[in-house]
Amino acid sequence: MPVISVLVALFVGAIFVLISGHNPIRAYAALILGAFGSPYDISETLVIAVPLTLAGLSVAVAFRTGLFNIGAQGQLLVGALGAGWTGSQFPDLPGILLLPMTLISGVLAGAAYGAIAGWLKAARGVNEVITTIMQNYIVVFVMHWLLQDGPMSAPNASGTPASSPIGAGAILPIIIPNELVPLSRLHAGIVLAVLAVVLFWFLLWRTSLGYELRAVGLGALAAAQAGIDPKRRMVLVMAIAGGFAGLAGMIQVSGLFHRVFDGFSSGFGFDAIAVALLGKNSPIGITLAAILFAAFARGGTLMQANAGISSHLVEVIEALVLFVIAAETIVRAIAGRRGPAQALA
Amino acid sequence: MKRFLVLAFIFSILFTTSCDALTGLTGSSLKIGLVTDVGGLNDKSFNALANTGRLDAAKDFGVQTSVIESKKQEDYVPNLTTFAQQNYDLVIGVGFLMTNSVWKVAKQFPNIKFAIIDGAPADDAGKTENLTNVANLFFKEQEAGYLVGVIAATMAKDKVGKATHNTVCSMGGIPIPPVDHYIAGYQDAIKTISPTTTILNGYSNDFVDQAKGKEIGLNHISKNCDILFQVAGGSGLGYIAAAKEKGVYAIGVDADQIDAAPGTIITSALKRVNKAVYNTVKAVKDKAYKAGDNFFSVANDGIGYGKTDAIVPANAKAAADQALADIKSGKITPKDTVQVKG
Amino acid sequence: MNIEVLIGAGVLAATLRLATPIALAALGGVVTERSGVTNIALEGCMLMGAFFAIFAADKTGSLPVAIVVGIIAGVALAALHALASITFRADQIVSGMALNILALGLTSYLDYELYGTTGTPASLPGVPTVDLGFLSAIPVLGGALGHQSSILWVTFLLVIVLELFLFRTVPGLRLRAVGEHPRAAETVGIDVRRTRYWAVLASGALAALGGVYLSMAVAGSFTDGMTNGKGFIGLAAMIFGRWKPVGALVASLIFGYGDALSVSLQGVSIGDLRIPVQLLSTIPYVLTILAVAGFVGRSRAPAADGLPYESEGH
Repeated sequence: MPVISVLVALFVGAIFVLISGHNPIRAYAALILGAFGSPYDISETLVIAVPLTLAGLSVAVAFRTGLFNIGAQGQLLVGALGAGWTGSQFPDLPGILLLPMTLISGVLAGAAYGAIAGWLKAARGVNEVITTIMQNYIVVFVMHWLLQDGPMSAPNASGTPASSPIGAGAILPIIIPNELVPLSRLHAGIVLAVLAVVLFWFLLWRTSLGYELRAVGLGALAAAQAGIDPKRRMVLVMAIAGGFAGLAGMIQVSGLFHRVFDGFSSGFGFDAIAVALLGKNSPIGITLAAILFAAFARGGTLMQANAGISSHLVEVIEALVLFVIAAETIVRAIAGRRGPAQALA
Repeated sequence: MKRFLVLAFIFSILFTTSCDALTGLTGSSLKIGLVTDVGGLNDKSFNALANTGRLDAAKDFGVQTSVIESKKQEDYVPNLTTFAQQNYDLVIGVGFLMTNSVWKVAKQFPNIKFAIIDGAPADDAGKTENLTNVANLFFKEQEAGYLVGVIAATMAKDKVGKATHNTVCSMGGIPIPPVDHYIAGYQDAIKTISPTTTILNGYSNDFVDQAKGKEIGLNHISKNCDILFQVAGGSGLGYIAAAKEKGVYAIGVDADQIDAAPGTIITSALKRVNKAVYNTVKAVKDKAYKAGDNFFSVANDGIGYGKTDAIVPANAKAAADQALADIKSGKITPKDTVQVKG
Repeated sequence: MNIEVLIGAGVLAATLRLATPIALAALGGVVTERSGVTNIALEGCMLMGAFFAIFAADKTGSLPVAIVVGIIAGVALAALHALASITFRADQIVSGMALNILALGLTSYLDYELYGTTGTPASLPGVPTVDLGFLSAIPVLGGALGHQSSILWVTFLLVIVLELFLFRTVPGLRLRAVGEHPRAAETVGIDVRRTRYWAVLASGALAALGGVYLSMAVAGSFTDGMTNGKGFIGLAAMIFGRWKPVGALVASLIFGYGDALSVSLQGVSIGDLRIPVQLLSTIPYVLTILAVAGFVGRSRAPAADGLPYESEGH
């Protein structure tokens, strides 16, 4: 039973907490309350879960085809740059024009970045693991250049490396009224995320393309028997994956920061890999896994503030829980989820 | 069934202690909260220094204090908000990346006092807007760079010890103002005191990668640099390691780093962030909190140069002390833009 | 711009230094994936090696003890991964990632608790360098090889040993069989699980040595997260090198060369044009993609890589 093993992990974590001289019960209470204790906390947990879900979809859609998309982080950042550029280049356009333009820029930018990896694999046989890992780093440095003193950097009071702010029309509004949850940062991106989850489901299980992709994912042999050529779809799949991640980047810019800050949103793409796998590459699973990760991040804050737990101990506890959940999954027959072996072939 | 009962029991314990956890720090003394930037408490740079100041203040003034380490920039607002919601008496944000976040949260909680290290609140358009509940703690890093530059220039000019090639250099993490100010002051001092000295500069593009820092150091040393000034946090330690390996000299930054590599580090450019935090906590305690710009420079001992190694000759120290006096009196104003970009 | 910047002894020496940790992680990857287990936790094993070597050096003042302790720490983390992946047949990617987070949290926590205010101690034993002065007669290469850490030479040796082991010995053949056709291997009497355990533990040791190199030989200290992704670059190098030790070394050298260029090209201008410092840092990554696209092409992992194995009669 997964719950028992999670409790075991929490118990081991409690020992660490005790050794460090703090109260485990206070610590865990803070963890739960930080994530769900008040409407504000829940709203903050969702704020993190939204981009994480999208990044998880990015990784999952590739996994379903047997491709290993480690590049969700890079695609997210490229999407953010695209969205940020469009949003700040036309600041006076009304929302009805600027918001869709910004959205499309973010999605297309991420999709293009992903497509590069897909093309390299299809045309030159370059393993997408290599390409996407490298791409993650490349975009980070390009972003440094663009935003520190390059073409996209904005003159700034405190010298923060960032782009110019996006126009008001490109902002995703906060959807929770202040009277209901004061200070909520939860923006309309959550609507986009929900739509993306539905789109993911629809694409994979209700279109012939999706059928093809899942067939390829289940084994090249099966696909060949069904008359499908895996290579043809690689570029498209990586583009779709990049598009989901690019959307995540766009949402961070339009919903939270309203400009592109150098070095923001670090770690989403990475956590997304675990989110996709824990969620068994399925829409509901990914959403729940994203919420779990977000809960840890948010709860971890209160653990530090109220229970005095070091942020690193919080990481240790999170890792223990993850590890134990991973070890718990004895059921191997996950629909569509192939081992990296075929993925790397 | 039994498992369910055990679970229910455990959860009920957790929730009955919920009130306790939710209120966090209790008691009548002041509550001081520190929110680090993504560098974390162990960044060998200003987060660590701010933390030292916080802990010293806690010890000396009996205030209660907590710290939250931010993992990504999205966390700045909720981390600051967490402290504000709990009515902390002072919430300190570390770093120029937090200027917009502090602006947002400070506006939402006008009765809570804030402080930003290295910045002033910036609105959504990036424009500075001083608020009545935010103290902007600015440091004149270029003055610190100038002071150590004086020492370096004197030693290079007089060919002291291993510094025989009349070449000095520096390495920044990334070319952002808090880093570049140090380098600018350093280069200004060298050009003023020893115009014939060759100046090199580089960036590791990273504050963590020591291997990279070391390679840049080795590269500079192969170009005859004898005195290496690091302005790159953890990556800078690699820069110092290169100096140590090749038997030349290095200069530390932010905190006094002379014990990190005795015999190699000749002095450090001090940015007394810990003092700034300590003084701000004291100000809140003494009801002398001053919002708006608070400058820390040699004038108020917020900037200085660290312990010097035995190899540093008396005339170099004297020159540095003279420069310190001159900066205080306004006779010298170190430049804050980098001339040799590298 | 002078040509030294591109192929001088200095750049080549830097290439070797920068390639070493990546090569060690890549070798670890080769060993474990050849046996059929994906070990993403190599980054974590490196970090464990880096921290615990410093810790042991601090407490005992002895370099050999420090290296051994560092390696044991990496093996310990790998053991957890082996337990999850082999015995519990867990998802190897998630297990690996969880262990990376665990290693980062644990080492950062201990670093702060033990060395937070003071930093790691300054006078730790260093790793000896191998001085081959007689080589200085050889242009360029002599300078590149003449003064390198002993761990670099150990790495070269390991590459040769592993290449021979995997492709010229019976135990190596068995290991590869376990990675390609575990069921067939089992029917001829090879203990699949035990072989895989050994492989995963060995990968932890190799990666940990890479971490020891970073903290003891390069930096002489520990900073949180100092491996900075080198474990993952090592995995890329493993794939690039087609899961062969020599290939992994070549791939690591290519990456290391790009990294060295990003340093040596700082401040260099071609006419009036100077590449911004931030873009220089992209060189190793772009170079790797180009190299793989241009020369390597398709590569295949061991057939049973990443798939948990259920033996008959379980």
